[in-house]
Amino acid sequence: MTQRWTATGLSQDLPKAVAMAGHWQGHDLAVWRSASGRLQAWNDRCPHRGMRLSHGFVRGETLACIYHGWVYGADGGCKHIPAHPALTPPATIRVAAFACVEQDGVIWVAPAETVGAPVALRGLQPLRSISLTCDVVAVRLAEPALSGDDVLRGLVQIGGQACEVCLLVQHGASGLTLHALCAVGADRIAASRWLEDLRRRAERKGAA
Amino acid sequence: MIAPEVMNEWYPVAMAAQICAGQRRVTQLLGQPITVHVQDGVIVVTGQAGPLHVTEAFGHVWACPGTPAHPLFPIPEALETGRRLVDVGVVRVKCSPLRAVENFLDIAHFPFVHTDVLGAEPHTEVNRYEVQIREDSDEVWATKVTFYQPQAAKSAEGGIVTQYMYRVPAPTAAVLYKTCPARPDAWDVIGIFVQPLSEELCDVWPWMALYDDATPQAELIAFQQMIFLQDRSILENQIPRLLPLDPGMEIPTQADLTSIAYRRWLKKRGLTYGAQMVAA
Repeated sequence: MTQRWTATGLSQDLPKAVAMAGHWQGHDLAVWRSASGRLQAWNDRCPHRGMRLSHGFVRGETLACIYHGWVYGADGGCKHIPAHPALTPPATIRVAAFACVEQDGVIWVAPAETVGAPVALRGLQPLRSISLTCDVVAVRLAEPALSGDDVLRGLVQIGGQACEVCLLVQHGASGLTLHALCAVGADRIAASRWLEDLRRRAERKGAA
Repeated sequence: MIAPEVMNEWYPVAMAAQICAGQRRVTQLLGQPITVHVQDGVIVVTGQAGPLHVTEAFGHVWACPGTPAHPLFPIPEALETGRRLVDVGVVRVKCSPLRAVENFLDIAHFPFVHTDVLGAEPHTEVNRYEVQIREDSDEVWATKVTFYQPQAAKSAEGGIVTQYMYRVPAPTAAVLYKTCPARPDAWDVIGIFVQPLSEELCDVWPWMALYDDATPQAELIAFQQMIFLQDRSILENQIPRLLPLDPGMEIPTQADLTSIAYRRWLKKRGLTYGAQMVAA
C-alpha cells in the first residue's frame, strides 16, 4: 500500500493566522492555521475567479481570498462576499478540503477520505525544509547511508558524530523539497550545515 | 492554427513615441515573432510571412496579423483639447491577455488589491450597475458603476464616491471613464491595451487621457504603474492561467456582470485566443 500522507511543511514554519502554499502529489494546496491554531489544507483555488488561496489572509477562524475578500469558514464553505454584504452565500460555494494532520512537528496532507495516520517519527526533532533541483536517486548517491523513497532515513556523520536523520520527500514541479528531522539532542546547527552540504553534493550528482 | 476571427483583430505592439525615436522592438504577437521599427519614415511591423497591417493611435502602434475585419476602434476623448495624454509604458504579465482585460473591468477587488487607494474596507459593496453589448458598435459597455475610493486618482484629495463606465472595444483592449477629481463635469479616460505575446503571456500598455495640469508626468506614471503591479500579483496567481469561458469552472456574482458579458462576447465572436473552452 502506497503511503498516501505527504509531508508539506514543518509546524514551526506555519505560525497562527498565516497561510502558505502546500502540495500533495501535484495538487496545489493552501495550508493555513487559524488564530486559535486550527490547521487546514484546502484546494489552492478560490471558486470565484481561480485566485490562489495560499495568498489569502487569515482572520480569526476564517481564510479570505486576497482578490475579492471572499471569506471561507472552517468547513471550506463561503461565509461572506464583501461585494454583497447582505447576501448569504449559497452553500454550493465551497473549497475542497484535504486531510491535514500535525505529528512530530510535521504537517502532513492526504486526500480527504484517507484513513490511518502518517508514519511515526519517534526520537526525532524537526530541523528545517530545503529544496533541491534533483531527484531522490541523486540524494541517495550523495549519501549512501540513506535509504528509502518517500522517507529517507539513516545514520550519518554530523560534526564527527553518528546522528540519525530522516528526510521526508515532497515532489514538486522543478525538483524536491526535503523536510528534515534529526535525532533529539543533536547539534541542530551542524545538522543544518550537513543538510546544505548534502544538497550541493546531490545536485552535483543529479547534474552529472 | 489560430482562428481567422482572432487574426483579423487589431493588437497593440509598441509605444509609438519609442519607435519614432528610432527604437527597434523585437517582440511577439499571438506566439509569432514580429519586429516593429521605422522604415523610410513609416512605422512597419514585420512578421515571418512579411509585413502586417499597421495603424497608429492613442500613443501606440497597432498591428493586425490577418485581414482587418474593421478599422481600429475610436476613442473620441483622445482628440479633446485640454486633455493630457499619458503613455504609461509596459508591464509584462504571465497570464492570459484576456485575464488582464477582465481584471481591468473588475471593481470588487479594489479594497483588497489596491487597499487604501482605489478602495478600503468596510466600503466593499458593489451596487447594481448596467451592462449591455451595444449592437451598433459591437462593444461591451458597463454604465452607472459607483464605488467609494480613498484616493481615486493622483489628483484626488480624500475619499470620494467615484462613478465609472467601462468599455471593451476590442478583445484585448478596454477603456474606462471615471469621475475626474479636478473637473466634476468631465470624465478621466484610462485604457489598457494588451499585447498577446502568447496565450499565457502578455505586455500590458496602460494609457491615460486626463484633465490634470498639476501633477508631474513622472508621478502620474508612477501611480498607474503601482496600480498595475498590484494587479500583476493577482494575475500571475490565477488558476488556470487561461480565461475559462465555459460556465461551471468559476462562480460569478452580480458584481461580475461586466466580466460575464465580456466572456459571452468573446465566445460569441470566436475570440478564444487565451481562453479555455472546456473545464479541465
